Amino acid sequence: MQIIENLSVKEKLYIEKLENGLTVMIIPKKGIRKKYVMWATHYGSIDNKFVVPGEEKKSEVPDGVAHFLEHKMFEQENGTNSLDTLTALGVNANAYTTNNYTTYLFESTDNFYPALDELMDYVQKPYFTDENVEKEKGIIAQEIKMYDDYPDWVVYMNAIRNMYKNNPIRIDIAGSVESIYKIDKDVLYKCYNTFYNPSNMVMCFCGDFEPEKLIEEVKKRLIEKPNQGEIKRIYEEEPEEIVEKRIEQTMEVSMPLFVIAIKDKLPNKNEDTVKKHIAIEILLNLIIGKSSELYKEMYENELLVSEPFLEYEFTDNYAHIAITGGSKDPDKVLEKIQQEIEKLKKEGLNSSDFERIKNMLYGNAVKEFNNVSDIARMFISDYFKDVNSFDYLENYKQITTEYTYEILKEVFLKDKTVLSIVKNSK
Amino acid sequence: MSYSIEEIKQGIKLHCIDTNKFKTNLMAVFITLPLNREKITYDTVIPAVLKRGTKKLTSQEEISKKLEDMYGASFDCGIEKIGDNHVIKFYLESLNDNFTPENSKENISKDSIDLLLDIILNPLTENNQFKDEYVEAEKNNIKLLIESKIDNKDQYALNRCIEEMYKGKPYGLYKYGYTEDLDKINSKNLYQYYTELINTSKIDIFISGELNTKDIVEIVRNNENIKKIKERKPNYIVNNEQTENKEEIQEKEIEEKKDVAQGKLVIGLDVELNDYNSKFPVSLYNVILGESATSKLFQNVREKASLAYTARSNYVRQKNNIYIRCGIEIENYEKALKIIKEQLEEMQDGKFTEEDLENSKKYMISGIQSAQDEQDSEITYYIGQELSGMLTTFEEYMKKINEVKLEDVKNVANKIKINTIYFLRN
Repeated sequence: MQIIENLSVKEKLYIEKLENGLTVMIIPKKGIRKKYVMWATHYGSIDNKFVVPGEEKKSEVPDGVAHFLEHKMFEQENGTNSLDTLTALGVNANAYTTNNYTTYLFESTDNFYPALDELMDYVQKPYFTDENVEKEKGIIAQEIKMYDDYPDWVVYMNAIRNMYKNNPIRIDIAGSVESIYKIDKDVLYKCYNTFYNPSNMVMCFCGDFEPEKLIEEVKKRLIEKPNQGEIKRIYEEEPEEIVEKRIEQTMEVSMPLFVIAIKDKLPNKNEDTVKKHIAIEILLNLIIGKSSELYKEMYENELLVSEPFLEYEFTDNYAHIAITGGSKDPDKVLEKIQQEIEKLKKEGLNSSDFERIKNMLYGNAVKEFNNVSDIARMFISDYFKDVNSFDYLENYKQITTEYTYEILKEVFLKDKTVLSIVKNSK
Repeated sequence: MSYSIEEIKQGIKLHCIDTNKFKTNLMAVFITLPLNREKITYDTVIPAVLKRGTKKLTSQEEISKKLEDMYGASFDCGIEKIGDNHVIKFYLESLNDNFTPENSKENISKDSIDLLLDIILNPLTENNQFKDEYVEAEKNNIKLLIESKIDNKDQYALNRCIEEMYKGKPYGLYKYGYTEDLDKINSKNLYQYYTELINTSKIDIFISGELNTKDIVEIVRNNENIKKIKERKPNYIVNNEQTENKEEIQEKEIEEKKDVAQGKLVIGLDVELNDYNSKFPVSLYNVILGESATSKLFQNVREKASLAYTARSNYVRQKNNIYIRCGIEIENYEKALKIIKEQLEEMQDGKFTEEDLENSKKYMISGIQSAQDEQDSEITYYIGQELSGMLTTFEEYMKKINEVKLEDVKNVANKIKINTIYFLRN
């Protein structure tokens, strides 16, 4: 077992790859009552074209299968539902699907091992029938419609679709009401058998654990499965260009919502993605963060009423910046932000602002280590990006203005920028 | 962990939660006063103006820079209805001094206390009133905030149901107030109101983190802003007091139209009981009815009938209400309502088992235990206790839950009636 210690947050990560290919990560937290576990597979909504290991031909499945599987995994052959069983044990169980992974989790204060029995049982034993698959369609259709009523989701998805021409990140994670009606039990079994192999999965535990003992407990509960070969995932080639600069949709909202998004190149193998991520976060804060000149100006001119939400999202398959907020005039906000970017490119970065933002982001990274659920989520999400979450803490200390300035010139490009707006029809 | 309360001055309490579970210190200040139609909008404008500047840091930008310098301390404020009280909340979260980088010289714990108290108690003034520019700008922001209540349709439907149930009563007021009041507010009358508020209302200061309680009490007592304010006999509504008579309930049905993809059904229930001991069986009633995944609503509306993705209930103990919420196809309104009513009848007929009760106890107890591993949840629990006029510790709370018998839940089930059925559709 490998042990990685981080002195900034005084935490340790224990990591082991088992013979069947399953990776187990443990972050022990002494004295905390909550125990949290996540079991994730590297399989998300974007994996809809692939070659099953051992086969030659390509498989293509309807949109929304990964998420549909997540719903159906809880069903057991003996007629019970594992979500009910876990709830009855007094643990808080859940699951969710993202673009690139699906994860099953629970949080417990008591009954940890009985709950682990159940979790490891249901994730390893799928049980799909025509009837139980059919029944889920109405539920998922309502989940999709619930999102259709969230303006912030609509404005975000429209930005994604205007950036990416072919990348399946364009598709709603849950699919569409039409696509889910095409899903049957055979499709679910095929995707389960392909993607739920231990070699494609990772487990992460956070709480008061003895790592050695916990690994043994995990091994005891694993069903023997061969360590299968690599799954070939097929993604259509994505051009570097965006699709459309601007999109507007009407919904009943009090004030227009906007996402300003900048499409980035895919990370190349030699690039340090953590370093780049930090540089982009610093830049976003320098440009339009809470203490920036531009935010002050737009707040005073009532172009912004609160600071926009700033993020950089990336995996092996996509990378983009998203600036999300509300404004009476989103076009003006975009124009101002672009002017500020050009100004920074011309004048360079102010080193005292740079240091201050860096300290702030360092503090935020330390705060991520407060809660067992946040910690496990972070390690899982970073794992699928080939990142160890501790790396952020060390990189904040080392990042330079020179490097950050290079990233500004390389990533913050006008012709890669899209504006998505949701506003009232009036 | 230890929790202690110290009265700093009459009407002003300091609550210290000494815990080493976190990397951060969290400080919260709550100002509590009765909900009042005349002043409700004033209450909302006040924190918005306070966050704009103090006598020492005269602009929002300076405050932000100061927070960033303190390794990303974060400040937040908000407004809540807790029972018939309006609570103005201020939070400051900062790194515990044990987790700041080695070369840092600051004393972040003390700086945090001083800064938060400065924002609340030492605002920037001009000629003995708030700065005009700040008040006018924040009035516009609050107008937008109030108008944004239509943006999230689930939340809108819940607010509308509460409004209908409490027409003309304090709890029916919208927590952010009303746009038509804003014209009456100016920097002079707002400052007068603020001065009165700060010198007469109940103030509770919470500090959670790895701290020496004795030192903290000293720091707060010696804070120049605390020294300035007076003792008071605060006026607020103790939350266990019943302020409405719920005897004659006429079941109401209300339908409203908005541009929605999915219908939002909210059913407000009245609990015709108000003694302290009834709150525990009612909490368990609510878990069995609709709070957990094994609940009657989740099982019947979602799992069996496939009518909804969300189908749940929550209990507002201060007001003796339960709210059932689900998102459904509009044409399924009658069907869903029928199933929900059947579940309420089953509860009344005592059709739930010892096992259901045990499961719901486990559910509640795990929630209570988890709250102690989350800094903000722990504070929220204690302010709830403070406003109820008596302190039930976590241990006592769990004991009370464990003592509830099946018979007790059956008894309360007959005291729970539908008050209002609200449906938002297109």
